[in-house]
Formats: sequence, C-alpha cells, structure tokens
Amino acid sequence: METIQRINHYTAYRPRPFTREERATVTILFGGLTWKHERLIQGVMHNLGYKAQPLPNITRADLDAGKELIDVGACCPTIFTTGNLANFLKSEMAALGREEVVKRYVFLTAGACGPCRFGQYHESYTMALDGLGLRDFRLFLLAQNQLDQGATHGGGLEINLPLSLGLVWAILCADVLTDLEYMTRPYEIVPGETDRVLRESIEYLYDVFRNRPQEKLRGGKLKVFAWHVLTDYFTDALRDVRKRWDAIRVDRLRVKPKVKITGEFWLQTHEGDGNYNIKRWLEQEGAEVIPPPIAVWLDYLLHSPITSEEWKGAERNRKKIALIRTLEHIYHFVYNRFRKALGNLPYELPDQEELKHLAKPYYHYELRGGEGHMLVGKALYAYRHKKAHMICELSPYSCMPNTMSIGAMANVLGRYPDLLYAPIEVKGDAEVHALSRCQMILTEAKRRAHAEFEDALAKTGLTLEAIRRYEERHPEVQRSTYRIPHYGYAGTAANYVMHLARKMR
Amino acid sequence: MRIPTLRTLFGKRASAASPPKDRSSVRVGIPKVLNIWSTHQFWVGFLTALGIAPENIVFSSDTSEEQYREYGKGRGTVDCCYPVKCMSGHYGELIFGQKKKIDVLLSPMIYSLPSFLRGHVLDTLTCTRVMAGPENIKAGFLKERDVFAENGIRYVSPFVSLGEPEKVPKQLYLALKDVLDLTEEETARAVEAGYRALEAFNQKMRQKSREILTWCARHERPCILVLARPYHMDPGIGHEIEAELQAHGFPILWMQYFPTDDDLMHWLFGEEIRAGRIKSPFDISDVWPSSYSSNTNEILWGAKVAARCPWVTCVIRFSSYECGMDQPTYTPTQKIVEASGTLYFKFGDLDATKPAGSIKIRVETIVHYVEKYSRDIIRRKLAALPPHCPLLEEAPSTSESASLAA
Ligand code: SF4
Ligand code: SF4
Repeated sequence: METIQRINHYTAYRPRPFTREERATVTILFGGLTWKHERLIQGVMHNLGYKAQPLPNITRADLDAGKELIDVGACCPTIFTTGNLANFLKSEMAALGREEVVKRYVFLTAGACGPCRFGQYHESYTMALDGLGLRDFRLFLLAQNQLDQGATHGGGLEINLPLSLGLVWAILCADVLTDLEYMTRPYEIVPGETDRVLRESIEYLYDVFRNRPQEKLRGGKLKVFAWHVLTDYFTDALRDVRKRWDAIRVDRLRVKPKVKITGEFWLQTHEGDGNYNIKRWLEQEGAEVIPPPIAVWLDYLLHSPITSEEWKGAERNRKKIALIRTLEHIYHFVYNRFRKALGNLPYELPDQEELKHLAKPYYHYELRGGEGHMLVGKALYAYRHKKAHMICELSPYSCMPNTMSIGAMANVLGRYPDLLYAPIEVKGDAEVHALSRCQMILTEAKRRAHAEFEDALAKTGLTLEAIRRYEERHPEVQRSTYRIPHYGYAGTAANYVMHLARKMR
Repeated sequence: MRIPTLRTLFGKRASAASPPKDRSSVRVGIPKVLNIWSTHQFWVGFLTALGIAPENIVFSSDTSEEQYREYGKGRGTVDCCYPVKCMSGHYGELIFGQKKKIDVLLSPMIYSLPSFLRGHVLDTLTCTRVMAGPENIKAGFLKERDVFAENGIRYVSPFVSLGEPEKVPKQLYLALKDVLDLTEEETARAVEAGYRALEAFNQKMRQKSREILTWCARHERPCILVLARPYHMDPGIGHEIEAELQAHGFPILWMQYFPTDDDLMHWLFGEEIRAGRIKSPFDISDVWPSSYSSNTNEILWGAKVAARCPWVTCVIRFSSYECGMDQPTYTPTQKIVEASGTLYFKFGDLDATKPAGSIKIRVETIVHYVEKYSRDIIRRKLAALPPHCPLLEEAPSTSESASLAA
C-alpha cells in the first residue's frame, strides 16, 4: 500500500451513489431531444416517483460555454450539450449556491454507443464539471440498448421495464406527433394554430404518461410488457389528440417542396440553435419538412445485432435472431397502432432490411458510429419511393462517421445524378454559409415541386377553381387530419390534386 | 540503440502452409493505411497461406504529399483527418503507379482489432473513420466511372472483425471467394496462419522493446515512449518526430509494442491489483471507463504504463489534425502521465506537411528537459515500486548483448 500512496495516480471521474432515499429530494436532469420528447419523458419519470427536469433549450451561448470547458476539436453536438449542462449548472449555482446544486441535482445521459464520440460524451461532461469546480456533481450513464439494467448507482435510479418501456413509448408518441406537426404547419390557414394545438396535445399526453396506472406497472416483466403492447391506454389518448387536430384547417394547394431531414442523431433530432433552427427556416423558405423520428434509430439499434449473430451462426445465435425479429415485429406493431390512432398520418417506419439493401453498394451496414449506413439508405429510400424532393443531411463539423457517409454519397450521386442532396455542415456559428448552401438546392426542389403540381393538374384536367369549389362543398378535405394517399408524387399538393380528381369522378 | 519500427519490418514474409491452389501469379495490392499498420502481418500471413507469392503482395509506399498530388488529387470526396484523406493517394498509386499491374486491390474495412487489451476492456473497435474509410475513398474512384474496372483491377473490401477471430473465416471467405476462388476450409486455415504471423511479429517487437528497457534499467538511462495510433509510424503521417529524438541518443519505444510479460506487469501494477483498484494490469477502467475503441484504449493504457515505468521519463503524444477519437483523450492522457512527474509533450494537429521548424525547436526543448530531469524521475518512480525489478534481475540475453554491442 505504501507504494500507491507515494504517487497519486490519476483516476477517472466516479460519481458518488444516488440513493433510493434521495429520490424524493434529488432532481434528475436530462436533455438532448426535442421539447416534446422531453416533456413526455418527464411524464414517465414523474409517474415513477422521480423528480425530473429537462435542461433548458440549447442556445448559441451553450456553444461558447462548451468550447471554453472542453479540449478543442470536439464535434458540435458534444460542445453544445456540454455547454448546455454547464450553463444550467452555473446559473443554478448563482441562484442556490454550489453545495445546494451538488445536493439537489444529478444528470442522466445516454451512453455506451461504441466507436464514435457518442460513447464518450460523458468524458466531456466530466471535463466540464472539473472546469466548473463541480467534480462531486453526479452524472450517470444510461446504456441505450438495455431495457432492464436493474438498480444502478446506489439504487436512486432503477432502470427497469416500467421506466424503459415508458421512455420508449413516450418517444414513439412524441415522434408521431412531430410528424403530424410538420405535415400540418406549412399548410395551416390560421397562423400559429398548429403550434398551439401541439402544445396542448403534448401537455395532455404528459398527463397520460404521468398517470400510467400503477397496478399495470407491477408484477412480472412479461405482464408489464404485454400491457404496454396491448393496452388501449395510449392509443385512446392519441385518438383524443387527433380530435384536437381535426379542428385545424389547412390549404394543401400551397405547392411546397418536401425536404427530408437526415444526419447525425442529435443534430437531426434537435430543434433550435444547435442546428440553426433549420427545420423552421426551411418552412419559412416555403418547404414542408419530413422530420427524422427517433423511432428509426431505436429500430436500427434493435435490428443491427442480427448480422453479428448471423456471422457466428450457432444454434444459440439463431435463437437470438428469432427473438430479435419477434421484438422487431412487436415494435412495428406498437408504432403502427400509434400511427393508426392518428389516422395513419404519421409516416411509416422504413424497413431496416430495405435500408440495408439500398445502402449496400455504397456503405456497409455493419459499419458503426453515428447513423451508419442509414444515411445512405434513407436518402435512397426517399428517392426511390418518391417520399421527398430533397434530402438535407445535417452533419456536425468534425463528426467522424458522418464525414465517411457523406463521402460515400458521392458514389450514390454519381449513379443517381438527379437525387437532390444537400449535406449541411453545422459548426454552430456559421449559419449564413450553411443556410445559403441549403438554399441553392432548395431552389431546384421548389422547381420540381411546381413541375409535379402542374403535371398533376394536366393529368387530371382539374383547375384550381374547381378544386376550391370542391373544398367548399366538402370541408372535411381541408382538415389537417384528412389523409391524402400517395399517388407517386413527392409533393403534398400534387398528391392532393390526384386524390381530389378521384373523389370528383 | 535502434528498435526496428514497424515500418522497417513492413511486408516481411510470414511462414505459411503450402497452398492448395495455384494463385502464385495473382498480384494483390494493399493500401498501407490506417490499421493496416498494426495488422499487416495478418494480411501477409493470410495471403501467403493462400498461395499468393510474397513478392506479389504489394503494399503502397509510405504516405507523402507527392503521392497524394500524383495519384489522389481530385478523388477526395470530403474533408477529414489526414490519415483518411491520404488514402486516395495510396489507392491511386496501386492502380496507376505499378510497373507490374496488380490484379486485386484489397482494402479491408477493419471493424475491430486483436488488441492485447481484449477481454480487459469493453471492446476493441476501430475508429469509425478507420472502419468506413474504404467506403469513403472508393467513392472517389467510382463516382464518375469505375476506375478499378477500367484498369482491370478487382476492388475488394471485406468487412472484417479482426478482434473476434471466430467471425473472420466466414467474413473473408464470403468477401474473397469469387476473387480468389477460395474454399471455406482453406480460408479458415489461412486465417489461422494470418493470426499466427501477427502474433509472432508482435511478440518479436515486444521482445525487442524489453531488451531496450532492460538496457535502460541496467544503465539508469531514460527512454521516451510514443503514444500514438499505429499509422503515426508512417513517416508521412507522424513525420518521424521520434526519429529526431532518437538521434539525440534517447531510445524510443512505441506503446503498441511495450513488453507485456507477467513479471514486468505485476511489478508495475501488482500493488494496485492487490488494493482492488484494478482487476488486471490491462484493466483501464480506473482511468477510461468508455473503453470501446481499441487504439484509444491502448493509448490510455500506454499512458498508465508511462506513469509507472521508471525509465520512461518522457512521453511524446502524436495526434492528427481533426482527429475525433483523440480529442476527448487529450486531458486524461496528460493527467495520467504527469501524475508521476513524467514529462509529457504533445504534437497535435499533424497534417500533410511536416512542420520541420517547430519540430526542431520542440525537440530541443524535450532533449533539454529529458536530460535535466530524467535522473530524478527515475528515482522517484523507482521508489514507488516494489524492490525487485524483473528487468534488473534477469541475465542479459545474447540478443540484447549483440544488439547493444552493435
Ligand atoms: S456521430 Fe459524430 S457528431 Fe455524433 S457524437 Fe459521434 S462524432 Fe460526434
Ligand atoms: S482515429 Fe483520428 S486520425 Fe485516425 S482515422 Fe479516426 S479520426 Fe482519423
């Protein structure tokens, strides 16, 4: 022992335990998603007796704070999220004092992702804590691929099925609602109505998650699981939400290019300064945005171990594959129930096998880090199925996996030169440059959307006046929840024309 | 006092079983990039076991600006760290720059590595750019037209988990069966031969390092440990900074080939294992809990070794410009090394051009510090370790005496 005392070797950050007794007084901080996802997650946490609070929305000031606290060269999601935590802690310290902050809060973050920095975010967080003189502040990692990790870190947080399934269900509900939001807002007749109804819907769903029946969360794992999968509790709530959206009237004759957002997980999900608020900006520029659901990422996490098991090829591995496939079916079943409760308006999840297959000549599906092959797969999926006029890929400056898949996209574009693809590098502080790059490609997407629309009018022989007259007689087609099927056009307006033509026949 | 670097031993023949099919005239080109630097003996062993003649296994040259200008320019599809960016030049050299044309361009997507830390860490994955680099670079040769086909070359890029040997035969068989007309059995045998060759090479390198360390211990002389990724051994990537220090008479060790013998490891880490701080000498959870990435893990382990081993009085750290994997490790690595007073110098942002002037100035600074403080550092670190150093207790080996005499 004497030897060890003489040189005080470096040790990594280790949080002191967060105990069960502390649950009532300690607030769990979390962040990294949209305000909608975070609010529903908060509902799940409150339902289980935790005090929980999302970090404030990301701002430019977080980038500056992050840069100050961690080593240079980090990717912008790392810098933003680190700065976000740091700024919150700083402001709380100013208000409550250091000791109180250390006592009152813990921070929970997703981790364990492997080859890119996502698996090492917490190293940056701990460096920030050091910089703030808060090494005794507690920060915990939640492995994102295990639903039942037991009581961890002193028992204060129990990662069990009621928590994990609650979190997943909350994310899926926020996803389908986000789809609804983005397909409605660009066409709303009364400005601001979508955002108002969205806020009300999220608050309503917060209560739904907050009030999950406790008796359904007790008992065996299978029972808890089966209840979540089969219950009408969530679908009934979504049906109620749908009724609220019925009241929003939309004008689908506004011809808009559809822009599918892809990119690095955090950056594409985010809504705010972290990605120059690009989704809102695109809407202001006249586009309809297809937001990236987190559900696709979870599906990818679920699906990807299959190939690894296939390589091993033993009986045990085959059984594991069968189990994964069953879980995948259940997962899609749940997601589709949620979609159905919202009138099948939210987009379906792409088939992971198809994404894999589409990406295969360009980017191997076992390459990990970031969104892996999915960036190439999703771009081709949208192109082949005419789901969007343009792909806007958000790539963090200095992101490792994204630079690789963007490079591979050069090969895709060589083969499909008419695929409109805008890779946007996001540094956090070079907004004008990034947006003007996007603008150039958006101009062509707009031209295509208009060409499609004219084509649909020509094909059907309809005029705008005839459509308006029909709308007057059939106001239900102007409801935001009225579903327009896909007639092979990417744009909403063109498909709307095709649909009305059929109705009028 | 020169330890053979990986570069000087690159491409040396590995022993192999007799080939079942005549593939002796097939020429295979391998871009000498990224983690080929730490696995090249596997590929040589594997291919020779399949009957490829050793002289027909062609590695591209060391990285250089000329190589990129001549063969890779205009083929880059994205801006990123230099070790990946320079790959276009390597591909181009193998396609356009060979007197005797190659038939196959083999650029594996190495997903995981057979690290000596495997089993002690969470995983041994490669950097996401290392594994995906070939997909990125090949795009530059395919985006307008198929340059490989135009030159009569089969491009093959097997996805290979070298860290999980049980998967490798199937992965390589499926990827190469059509190109090299393989059977599953011979692929499996060749994979074994590849691993044997790699292991033998690594052992030999570790033995050489041990001899150097023993010499330092006997003569109370300092040595300098390089903490870097394997491809920093490439003169075009690491710019031979360590060679400049070696020229001042300091032996250089690379962390990748630091001796891992039980006696030495237990001398360095035994107390900490007994105290329950770590589970084994290769356990790095005390300093780096997110131990997924193989090269990163080894750098962190190297820092721990440097902090403890008395004769390593100085560490030089290399890092390439825009390296995302190194970024979160800068501060922990420095803190680990400096905790014991060991000197630490970082050469960051290494790019295509050798910053000769600043290297010269920094080398002089390093030499000054190493000369001035090494004696104290050695004494302090020795005092913190158990008394019986295995390096001082063994009889000098013949090869050591020979190499020292040389
Ligand atoms: S995917 Fe890219 S941006 Fe995201 S954490 Fe990894 S390196 Fe950073
Ligand atoms: S480890 Fe760093 S230098 Fe190496 S490929 Fe990855 S990002 Fe580039």
